[in-house]
Amino acid sequence: MSTLLEARGIGMTFRNGDELTEVLKGVDLTLEHGELAALLGASGSGKSTLLSIVGLLLKPTAGTLSIAGQRVEGLPDLERAQFRNRRLGFIFQFHHLLPDFTATENVAFPAAAPAGAISPAMRRRARDLLARVGLADRMDFPATRLSGGQKQRVAIARALMNKPELILADEPTGSLDRVAAGQVLDLMREVNREDKATFLICTHDEQVAARCTRRVTLKDGSVESA
Amino acid sequence: MFAFTVARRYLFSNPAQTALLISGVSLGVMAFVFITALIGGLATRLTDDVTANSAHISLEPETRIARVLPSPDAASAPVAIISTFQRRQIRDWTSTVSLLRSHPAVSAISPQISGSAFLVKGEAVSPVAVTALDPANIDTISSISTEIISGDASLGADGILIGSRLAENLGLAAGQPVLLRTDRGIDRLLIVRGVFQTGLQSLDERVAYLSLQTARPLFLLPEGITNIEVKLYEPGGAREVAAFLHEATGLRATSWQQKNASLEGALDAQSQTGTLIQAFSLISVLIGIASALSLSANRRRGEVGIMRAFGVSGSFIAAVFVLQGLLIGMVGAGIGCASGFALCSWLETLTKPDGTMALPIAPREGGYVAVFLLTTIGAVLASVIPAGSAARLDPLEAIQQ
Repeated sequence: MSTLLEARGIGMTFRNGDELTEVLKGVDLTLEHGELAALLGASGSGKSTLLSIVGLLLKPTAGTLSIAGQRVEGLPDLERAQFRNRRLGFIFQFHHLLPDFTATENVAFPAAAPAGAISPAMRRRARDLLARVGLADRMDFPATRLSGGQKQRVAIARALMNKPELILADEPTGSLDRVAAGQVLDLMREVNREDKATFLICTHDEQVAARCTRRVTLKDGSVESA
Repeated sequence: MFAFTVARRYLFSNPAQTALLISGVSLGVMAFVFITALIGGLATRLTDDVTANSAHISLEPETRIARVLPSPDAASAPVAIISTFQRRQIRDWTSTVSLLRSHPAVSAISPQISGSAFLVKGEAVSPVAVTALDPANIDTISSISTEIISGDASLGADGILIGSRLAENLGLAAGQPVLLRTDRGIDRLLIVRGVFQTGLQSLDERVAYLSLQTARPLFLLPEGITNIEVKLYEPGGAREVAAFLHEATGLRATSWQQKNASLEGALDAQSQTGTLIQAFSLISVLIGIASALSLSANRRRGEVGIMRAFGVSGSFIAAVFVLQGLLIGMVGAGIGCASGFALCSWLETLTKPDGTMALPIAPREGGYVAVFLLTTIGAVLASVIPAGSAARLDPLEAIQQ
């Protein structure tokens, strides 16, 4: 396996007026291609902040970050957005599907927006992905008519649309019941196994972490164990 | 364009709200169209009323002004008295008429002799303003022949046409003789060939028409004339044409607007008031669009945040909201223009009991192109602020909310 993600000395300090809050203190983290890693930690340990930095949604105040061999921590906003679009996938606790679009359109959206239209090839891939996540019979359903578990599966398909090298998931099963959560987790494991896609799953759920191939634990802004 | 698809989908996602918003825009545009058509119609009617029976431009010799002359004797009167016995006249009027005929804006020309006189019938005497013109072109400036209520409009060598009030004051009727005494002190017995009634008291009581040939000896103008009256195809251009004619002929050229300065002032004031109402209509429309799109952008923060998270550019997000503004503006302006035209056309058909229009409205003068463009461009500009705030949205902050 080769290195996909290399974070060195990542620090993050938030300023609130005169008050400075140091959330991350020199985090070092390396992920290899094809890993299914759980990022654990108590509430306030900084795991969501680390995930946001790795997902280029937040700029660290210290440290370096390389993804697929490219230094990314200092990229300007437009390039960060392009990098996110082409090389990263996101799954959030709340699916954030676009309610005015069908399941297929939601999945195709990350590819269609930069291209200017949903091409037939994009539509085919979106439908293949939906079939893969078990929603072959819901492809043309508006997002509003899907159940919570179905919406999260559409969100997973959407995260896979642009064939990202790294998929970042923030409490992906946090808003689902036990059955739906199990299905979503199985799905992520399947994608990891079959596509060799790398996952970094931020969770506080030990049962989720137990089904991952690696555990990274944050405590008080530092990596406690990896 | 995918941004257009997203914008359209957003607008259709809440049809009732979008319909309400478009209705608001349409109403504002309709108000704009109505005011514009009403002001345009009113201006047209007033202009027509003023210019229908009068010249658009009058050409006359410059007014003679007494000049101060140097005098060796300081005690003597220093002012040179200009003779007022010899009438001001346009001697070379045929060349001026040729020039006028070649001007593309001029539709009709009437060389005239105008002067003051008295009509005497027995003991009754009445002052009249005499207008002498070519009998063959008697209706060139005013449609006199259609206003004749008794007799006819054939002037002939010894004929005179007088107004109905004047005829009544002097106890005259068509076919009767009357004595005309001009300001040159010359008398001539004429026959009343016709009596006209325009409805304007000043004309019906004080004006009399003669032929040019009859008037020449009466006003001691064997060759010249006193004025040339001009009609234009477009009365609105009278001021510019008058300036040109003054330059070209050296004559004093007075446009109908100069003769009716108070009317022009009233029309200007009316136009400015209309502009204010139009501006407020548009501003309220644009504020409505801006606030509706701001609410929409706020309501969709989560969606915009997730789009930004998976790498959709800020310009795409901005385009989605600007296109919504464009669509609302175009559809609202289109519907507003169509309903405004329908409303004005219906109002145009309403009449008073006397058969005249209830409202002097001109549906064709609704300013449709202007209001369509202003609303559409304004709607796009009004959407820039919400579009900008949506485009700048921090994805993390929006998602966490």
